[in-house]
Amino acid sequence: MTARGTPSRFLQSVLQNGAGRYVCQLKRVSLMFSKKGQSSLGVREFIEDGVVDFAKKNPGIVVYVSPQSCRIPKIVAEYLNGNVREELVTNKTSQQITELIMKLSNQSGLDIIRIRKPFHTDSPSIQGQWHPFTNRPPSRDPIGPQEPG
Amino acid sequence: MAACWRLLSRTVSVLGHGQVCRSVLLSQTREKKRWMKAYTLLMERKRRIEGEPAPKPRSQQPNWDYHAEVEAFSARLKESFSVELLKTAFVNPCYLRSEEERRRTLGLDAEGAALNLRDNTELREHGQQFTLNFLKDWCKSSFPNLPEAGVTAIVSHLTGSEVVCDVARNLAVEELAMAAEFPVPQDILRGTFFAVVGALEQSSGTEKARLFVRDFLVTQLIGKDLFDMWRVVNPMGLLVEELTRRGKALPEPRLIQSAGASTVLPLYFVGLYSDGKLLAQGPGETLLAAEEEAARVALRKLFGYTENRKPFDFSPPQEKPRTAASRAAASG
Repeated sequence: MTARGTPSRFLQSVLQNGAGRYVCQLKRVSLMFSKKGQSSLGVREFIEDGVVDFAKKNPGIVVYVSPQSCRIPKIVAEYLNGNVREELVTNKTSQQITELIMKLSNQSGLDIIRIRKPFHTDSPSIQGQWHPFTNRPPSRDPIGPQEPG
Repeated sequence: MAACWRLLSRTVSVLGHGQVCRSVLLSQTREKKRWMKAYTLLMERKRRIEGEPAPKPRSQQPNWDYHAEVEAFSARLKESFSVELLKTAFVNPCYLRSEEERRRTLGLDAEGAALNLRDNTELREHGQQFTLNFLKDWCKSSFPNLPEAGVTAIVSHLTGSEVVCDVARNLAVEELAMAAEFPVPQDILRGTFFAVVGALEQSSGTEKARLFVRDFLVTQLIGKDLFDMWRVVNPMGLLVEELTRRGKALPEPRLIQSAGASTVLPLYFVGLYSDGKLLAQGPGETLLAAEEEAARVALRKLFGYTENRKPFDFSPPQEKPRTAASRAAASG
């Protein structure tokens, strides 16, 4: 599909985040994995190695670890703006999962769609938009017919 | 429920030709699940009749630990709330009432039904007062030329339901707030946000609470026009009033440019002169609209709320004397 047909948005942030203070937008991470399954091996390793460090380093993110019998281990990330992202981590290694969670915690939770430009401003021009009368001195002569006819 | 039962019975009678399997099937069979389509259709019809299921609060879904969530809320905003106060701030009186009512209907006596919880009425009042005062002071110091009515308009826009609820939803206050109904009504959510501000003021001091309000409420002013928040019906009257108050000559509107006057898209530029000096100019499709627009532009200039003003300073406060002293100590 062409670029015009795909959904797009401007570069934006939630609640002007960063203008005042930066708030990490990821509020909750749940790790769903199986205690026995082969495909959850990496998640179990991550829980042994990295999850406590991650939770200590990011006190603003609540981490839930829920073992349940499933074939496809998942990471469910919930963001402050209410969006929920599910990432499947079948057969991923512990290292890959660490990177994935870091990526999730750095995202804003807004829809991941094409961003029209890598920069955006609400006030595109400080001087005001140009129009044919910009910088033209006010006419001193009487101005042409004001009413038609 | 009745509709559902009727549907069920009809479907069963149609599908099963009057026979209903009574024994529970224990062995699994691998085959095409032909019952699945009927079941899906039934569920779809049920949903069409009954509508979408009511939204479920996050606290009733799996993976929810209230204490951890409250602590994470405090850590996320980089504030040191006292956890007791913060938890009190989230308890609304309507929740207490409904919860006690529920316990009474379950058959508990008055002592057992009583909840040993404080509600956030005091914190809410306190936080609201604090926020209003701070915002008023902030507006007065940022826009010294703005009259009282304008300050009131900006403050009531910032503390209005719409802005405060938007902020509260995006800070996860809604899912922590305890209310009788879900989704939480706007006024209760607004009150809860003020209660959080009140709890912050009581647990870590006025300065922190001021920064909190500045960072989360005042930033909502970015990109807002003054007259979006402040309904001025007669800007020319206000301009005349303002100029007489400052002892300047009254504004004289003059047509300074025009284009396409005989077309369907005419354009007029009206300039406002006071004492022979151009105050402001504004465009419009008619002379009256252009004059009104020019008056608005002039008011924005007078009040110091133009689009190209200096941006607000939201940087965290630096402790200047200490850094200067430490630099002196380092160099000496």
